[in-house]
Amino acid sequence: MKILIVEDEPKTGDYLRQGLTEAGFIVDLAREGFDGLHLAAGGDYDLLVLDVMLPGLDGWQVLSGVRRKDPDLPVLFLTARDQVDDRVKGLELGADDYLIKPFAFAELLARVRTLLRRGRSASEPTVLRVADLELDLLRRRVLRGGRRIELTAKEYALLELFMRRCGEVLPRSLIASSVWDMNFDSDTNVVDVAVRRLRLKVDEGFEPRLIQTVRGMGYVLDTPE
Amino acid sequence: MKPPSLTVRLSLLFAVSTVALLLGLGWTLERAVALHFRELDHHEIAGKLALVRNLLGRATTPAALASLPADLEAALVGHPGLALRVQASDGRVRFVSARGQLPPGTASARSGSGQPEDLLWVRWNEGPRAFRGLIARVPVGVPLQTRDARTAGMAEPPSDTVAIGLDISHHQAFMAEFRRILVLAMLLAAAVAAALGWAVTHAGLRPLRRITALAADLDASRLGARLPETRVPPEIKSLVVAFNAMLARLQDSFQRLSDVSADIAHELRTPISNLTLQTQVALNAARDADQYREVLYSSLEEYERMGQMIGNMLFLARADHGLLHPTADVLDLAAQVWDLFDYFDAWAEERGVSLRLTGSACARADPLMLRRALSNLLSNAIRHTGAGQQVRVRLDDDGRGVRILVENPGSPLSAEQAARLFERFYRADPARSRRGETAGSGTGLGLAIVKSIVEAHGGTVAAASSAGCTRFTVILPSAHPHSAAQAPAHSAGT
Repeated sequence: MKILIVEDEPKTGDYLRQGLTEAGFIVDLAREGFDGLHLAAGGDYDLLVLDVMLPGLDGWQVLSGVRRKDPDLPVLFLTARDQVDDRVKGLELGADDYLIKPFAFAELLARVRTLLRRGRSASEPTVLRVADLELDLLRRRVLRGGRRIELTAKEYALLELFMRRCGEVLPRSLIASSVWDMNFDSDTNVVDVAVRRLRLKVDEGFEPRLIQTVRGMGYVLDTPE
Repeated sequence: MKPPSLTVRLSLLFAVSTVALLLGLGWTLERAVALHFRELDHHEIAGKLALVRNLLGRATTPAALASLPADLEAALVGHPGLALRVQASDGRVRFVSARGQLPPGTASARSGSGQPEDLLWVRWNEGPRAFRGLIARVPVGVPLQTRDARTAGMAEPPSDTVAIGLDISHHQAFMAEFRRILVLAMLLAAAVAAALGWAVTHAGLRPLRRITALAADLDASRLGARLPETRVPPEIKSLVVAFNAMLARLQDSFQRLSDVSADIAHELRTPISNLTLQTQVALNAARDADQYREVLYSSLEEYERMGQMIGNMLFLARADHGLLHPTADVLDLAAQVWDLFDYFDAWAEERGVSLRLTGSACARADPLMLRRALSNLLSNAIRHTGAGQQVRVRLDDDGRGVRILVENPGSPLSAEQAARLFERFYRADPARSRRGETAGSGTGLGLAIVKSIVEAHGGTVAAASSAGCTRFTVILPSAHPHSAAQAPAHSAGT
């Protein structure tokens, strides 16, 4: 998977490249708009991560230039301006998603994976499996080691999210927004409580423990190595 | 154009009103004097006419008639400006004075056919000189005492035409001089009035200048100073009071602003000094990877807290600048609250707090913002409720507005505390501040955000505390989509 980052802030650019490379992507970095547009036209990228404020061409101009050549290339916008206008403009010009700085790296990674998954509409599985944990999407049934686990509706939604994005660190904000539709920072530990309860039902008394806390970042459901 | 100074304005008004007053007075005076002179002239002429009338009346015999010119000549002695002419009814001129001017048209001989009026006053000019006079018919040979009897039915006696002219130039000259003096006096008075007006205004405005000087002395560091409200004239007092009130408001918001800056500095200084300290300690000695990782995790938590706080501050700053533009979707508030209960359910249950909703209402609001506001109210209520107790949300719509009540049992708050709850970084319970009972909890901005959001929707929010119960009341503009659109459908259906 090849990703092009267009970002002029040196540290942000470097760390984004490092983080995405370590997450297993092939990453190119352009420091300004013209280079970005040039690289995007030549390289065969799967995703473009674009900063709005750029020297040379700004993010909007790069976006419309890219769209003219490749209308399907997923584009993730990074904006420091916490303004509705920016978002509307970005989405109108065809950005697929946006993130407001400062953002958590886990959030960026999650969004990147979502965008890359989009379009590859492989046949939807009806049963999700991780180790001996099984989630039957059709019957809305959860089995661990063959034993039925009773979950509330929200616990089920939470587990489904974890299993669909198995191996990805999910930040609390993303969990709150996907499961409860709470699209803002909450000053409570609601998500932690909910994950703790889910863990009690899904992991308590079973080996291995599947739901893990990634300190400072969020939660991940995965089979430990 | 620059507006004229108050002093100039008042002086001019003063002068103009004085001149207007003097003009009126001068005109009356001039009229009175002119009338008086006319009276004098008329009196003199009428006196001469009476004399002539008397002489002619007594001239019953030809001898008396013959001596008439001499008598008339004698009567004119000492009256150089007086002219007299007596003409008999047959056109014969009985007497003409040597000097003076007669009324125009009487000097020439006249036929007896045109009888003049009994008495006619005339006024005319001859070159630079002015004259007044009269023309009258005077019976001849009828003594004054018998004249009344004659009118009873006797035949008309022959009458002479008497013309009298009087030179009144000296009166006219006096009047001209009088008018000149009046005008000069008026100009002088106007000038004096303007000067006096200036002096009076200047002195009268002294309190205003004193206030101005005091006001000019104020600056940001001396916002606490107030202008003296006693010892100022009542006219300025309201200005001073208004000015002081403005100062108080300024001081208040200035204070709040610097409080907020100080709070931000303080709130940021603590995590930054933590970060610095732990990084320095970590670098002080060689450590293994786990220990470094621990430092980084700890830093990450602090960064997240700071990021969240800055995000909230930005939101509030945008609200302050009127940059929140909520949409006006029709929202079923009960459904919104249920969603939030669903979200907070696990957390509340863990704390032993139950949640309860009664009533229902619809409001026009921005779903995302409203959810954020309600979420902050609920998390605040849950956080301050003891185990085994209940947080209640009540919804109702009284037609004028939608009320959302969020109540929780809690320690009593004073009215002052309740009012300050919505201030940034305000914490009613200082001991609770920065205890960090949960990760990222209580940046002290949650309720301030509630207030901004509610006010951006044109609503109000208030807190009150009574009988061990803390109650937040949000009032939003009402939306009546159902009552308006569905009421007819309902009645048709049932």
